[in-house]
Amino acid sequence: MQVIIANALEQGLIYCFMVLGVFLTFRVLDFPDLTVDGSLPLGAAVTGALIVGGHSPFLATAAGVGAGLCAGLVTGFLHLLLKSGESDSTNYGPKLLAGILTMTALYTVNLRIMGRSNIPLLGVQVIFDKVGSFLSLTMIGWNLVLVLAALAIVVKYVLDWLLHTEFGLTLLATGDNEQMIRAMGTNTNFTRIVGLAIANGLVALTGSLVAQQQGFADVGMGIGTIVAGLAGVIMGEVIFGVRSISWVLFSVIGGSIVYRFLIAISLRLGIQPTDLKLLTATLVVVALSIPTVRRKVVRL
Amino acid sequence: MSAPATLEVRGLRKVFFPGTANEVTALNGIDLEVPAGQFVSIIGSNGSGKSTLLNSVAGTFSLSGGRIVLGGRDVTKQAEHVRSRMIGRVFQDPRAGTAPSMTIEENLAISLLRSRRSGLRRGVTNPRREVMRVQLSRLGMGLEGRLRAGVNKLSGGQRQAMSLLMATIAEPSLLLLDEHTAALDPKVAATIMELTAAIVAERGLTTLMVTHNMELALRYGDRLIMMHAGRVVLDLDERQKATLEVGDLIVKFHEVAGEAFAVDRMLLE
Repeated sequence: MQVIIANALEQGLIYCFMVLGVFLTFRVLDFPDLTVDGSLPLGAAVTGALIVGGHSPFLATAAGVGAGLCAGLVTGFLHLLLKSGESDSTNYGPKLLAGILTMTALYTVNLRIMGRSNIPLLGVQVIFDKVGSFLSLTMIGWNLVLVLAALAIVVKYVLDWLLHTEFGLTLLATGDNEQMIRAMGTNTNFTRIVGLAIANGLVALTGSLVAQQQGFADVGMGIGTIVAGLAGVIMGEVIFGVRSISWVLFSVIGGSIVYRFLIAISLRLGIQPTDLKLLTATLVVVALSIPTVRRKVVRL
Repeated sequence: MSAPATLEVRGLRKVFFPGTANEVTALNGIDLEVPAGQFVSIIGSNGSGKSTLLNSVAGTFSLSGGRIVLGGRDVTKQAEHVRSRMIGRVFQDPRAGTAPSMTIEENLAISLLRSRRSGLRRGVTNPRREVMRVQLSRLGMGLEGRLRAGVNKLSGGQRQAMSLLMATIAEPSLLLLDEHTAALDPKVAATIMELTAAIVAERGLTTLMVTHNMELALRYGDRLIMMHAGRVVLDLDERQKATLEVGDLIVKFHEVAGEAFAVDRMLLE
């Protein structure tokens, strides 16, 4: 049981950056961004290729995050091209399409970066080895959980700070009432692009860490990222609440951990790993439709 | 912070869906000069182009012709968000002027930042909270004690009062009111209108107020403009306006619009 808990915590904390990214796009920007299915393996591919090429794992991780930022920028610019001149913030078509296009293009980009569909990272020094030797700890089990938790808390507080700055307020308002914030002199095209870049940088950070933790980067590892991210966001919001931005950032990290717990338990109960995506999708559908169903039932 | 500015509109034309079966000429050559500090009421029937005029000035869409000069600067080609640094706007829908899932203080902080670039300093600071409390207390709605409340917890009237405050707090060069009391119940609408008049008078704001309500248009403002079919058909100064009542205005409307109606009827027959 201890092992399951440590494992789920480890996975939940590695994936929480991705879930925070999905939260930023879905909830803060009101932009359902499908780029994440491509930017997660992008982070893994860039990090993997650089580590295998003999570069420092710190540099490789930073480069992975940087590549994710760029993927977000591309989606932001594509959205500008695809949406018609007059801004209508509730028109999700161009938003979805921009993400789908970037995600699809990234498949090729990721293959090109890696040169093949899978890079093993065994027998090389990854970021956890470096941190471990610096702290004189072996990076497994609870030690790894503690280091990841520290990183998650740092990222959480940086996001918290950012969303409370002047720029952060305009970012929040871009997703909440675009007409208002434009009338207040904010270029929402700019805030949206910056938000997408940050979000995909976070997703790529998860990709980079996943590759280094499981020992390989794979071109297919991003499939279903958006749905897993949504599941984490929704569970976090439902279980831990949304009373303020500072609070909800913690909730979302909690959601990521709970989601990985459920997966660990499902696997323990004998569910096939390949069945998990259907399970996750069902979970998201149920969670998202609860308000609608409840309204219908009340009306009857 | 900028001073109230003169607004000059020359030969303004706006055609929606040009070259299609749905082509509509919403503005058909508007010329208007509003001196700094003047409060203009604009009335007209549905489709007369009054809201399109406001949106054109605000830069919501590009024009089909003409130009707009604000404070001596040609802003015709300026993007909406750039122009918005000088222009305060209140919309008809009380939900349009505020961010619902953000707090009162966060909304007001955003409005205090208009006209300058937002940076990475903290958005809601204690000095700004002081300014907010002073400004909110003037609304007389007790909002000054609820800075951290979510805007979605407020009533329509409270939200519209917030929108009005947010549009004017950073001293805009021009204030645009688009039927901003039409969606409120009569008592609340009267309160908001009184607040509007007080703020406009105190700051000497150049103001354009679109309304359906002839009585409001007569009672408030130093000038009254009537629009019909994308043109200005009547332009009364304060002195002329003071002698009129709603009945007179309806007669005037039929005088100036009647010809257009007759033409429409002829075309139909």
